[in-house]
Amino acid sequence: MTSEVAPIVQLQNVSKSFGRVFALEDINLDFYPGEIVSLVGDNGAGKTTLTKIISGTESPDLGAKIMIDGNIVKNWTAAKARSRGIETVHQNRALSESQTIYDNVFLGRELTNKLGFIKRKEEEAETEKLMRKIGYTSKVWTPNSTVNKLSGGERQGVAISRAILFQSRLVILDEPTTAMALSEAAEVMAFIQNLKADGKSVIFISHNPWDAFSAADRFVILDRGKVVCDEPKGDMTVQDFIARLHGFAKEGRGSVA
Amino acid sequence: MGSPRKAGVQLRKNLSLINSVPEKLRPLFGAGIFFFLMMVAFIIASPRVFLHLGIYSAIFLSLPLFTIVGLSLVFITAAGEIDLSFPSTISLTGLAFAWTLEHTHRNFFISAVSAIIVGALCGALNGFLVTRLGLSSLITTLGMNFALIGLTQILNNGAVRTFLELNDTAVRSIFVGAVGPIPAQMFWSSGLAIILGVIFHRHKFGLHTRVAGDNPEAGRAMGVNIEMTKTLCFILIGVCSAFTAIIGVLLNSTYFSTMGDGYLLPTLAAVFVGGTPVSGGKGTIGGLVIGAATVVFIQTGVVAAGLDGYWTSFGFGLVIVFSLLGHRRFSGRLTR
Repeated sequence: MTSEVAPIVQLQNVSKSFGRVFALEDINLDFYPGEIVSLVGDNGAGKTTLTKIISGTESPDLGAKIMIDGNIVKNWTAAKARSRGIETVHQNRALSESQTIYDNVFLGRELTNKLGFIKRKEEEAETEKLMRKIGYTSKVWTPNSTVNKLSGGERQGVAISRAILFQSRLVILDEPTTAMALSEAAEVMAFIQNLKADGKSVIFISHNPWDAFSAADRFVILDRGKVVCDEPKGDMTVQDFIARLHGFAKEGRGSVA
Repeated sequence: MGSPRKAGVQLRKNLSLINSVPEKLRPLFGAGIFFFLMMVAFIIASPRVFLHLGIYSAIFLSLPLFTIVGLSLVFITAAGEIDLSFPSTISLTGLAFAWTLEHTHRNFFISAVSAIIVGALCGALNGFLVTRLGLSSLITTLGMNFALIGLTQILNNGAVRTFLELNDTAVRSIFVGAVGPIPAQMFWSSGLAIILGVIFHRHKFGLHTRVAGDNPEAGRAMGVNIEMTKTLCFILIGVCSAFTAIIGVLLNSTYFSTMGDGYLLPTLAAVFVGGTPVSGGKGTIGGLVIGAATVVFIQTGVVAAGLDGYWTSFGFGLVIVFSLLGHRRFSGRLTR
């Protein structure tokens, strides 16, 4: 990405430790508008922790700086992140299964009257529109169905539609295609490109190197809490990418032994 | 061969009847059927008692007390927590009410406010211990139940406080007077049930409460303050306990520190018989109203039907187990 465009999110000196274990160590990354970043790395590399810090559900260790549109933010929370246009589709999808689809879509941002009562009809109508727009339609359920009735792909659809409903600028997708049928996964990949076409930024986590490669404009490879590669795609081939992925993994293992 | 097939057809018919009830209403429906069957059994067993108004007037006297505090328990149960300290909160807030009455020349308004503040503080303390210190609500509120009843007895020091001069006052007739055969507290508890029902099922606080019990992580990720939601549920129990205590004191024109005894198990039974699952995430206010009626009818009905009072507990046991089985049948895994 060109340097004239101001980054949406900047992370400086971000570390996160759980007891004596560093999940993240001194991360410095910028995320720009209209850019798809593939975040890849082995299990336990810190990908999910990193996205949780950006989305405000996990707080970094002292000394970390999170900047949104160039301004340092303090006491970064999930509610604040959402109000600044950062939406996350969590790995576990973060759905309340006993509640209805529309309740889940609007959770934390209910359409209410002045007294806080939910405008159910409006939420249902919006949900219906939204699900149709992203192509997750079904004859079986309505926005009033509970989430525990849905298949894995449909649940992902609810989680994704929730992320784009509001004026989101940066959408974080944590393993969105895991445990999905191929056709469903293809829909998600197409959806990511749609997001980019809409001018939104995406941080995309995947275990599948082909998905990660084909979707991305830039790769960030994490290895045991550290950024070991941060490169634009440029004219890199998928072979180069996989070689890098394996190279870092091998190097990492070598240093442990 | 004929009869099993017939039975099969019959069963399928029954199931399709169940399936035609919207899933959300099934717990309510189940509790209603159970209540209906119980009433039929009571009427058959003792038509002389149960076809006369007298028994219903008697039941309407105490039903509101269980309903009011039970309503708040639906919230905390749906939020995935439990509160066992409300009986002592009733005793303590009753003392606050009685003590303030004595020290303010029977000023009802100030006394009621002080009882409600004490109740809210008890709830806030429970909420703090459970959500901020991460203690188990079951054990914390069990401990609080002991601590608060002890505190009440220390402060009350064995006194029985009577307020006979409150008889024939406007306040007393507003809260516990009678409109025809129906005691005024029935209207208060019904009104509260409607308000809390709308909040539970339609307000965002109700949604957040259910999410807190179903998947708190999902709520947090979406920016819902789960800790505050649960704390407010505990505070609601304190306030409803105070309301119960105020009505209880007015009803008897007397305060005694054991007034909260006998609420714990019947009220919890009302919640679960009503179809609110112990696992959290769901609940039904309408079911609680039916559940409370079921419980109070057993308490009053067993004795009125001429059975020995010992049968009450036996009846409770049967009702709880059978109603859970019924809810399982209606609502799948709901009651687990």
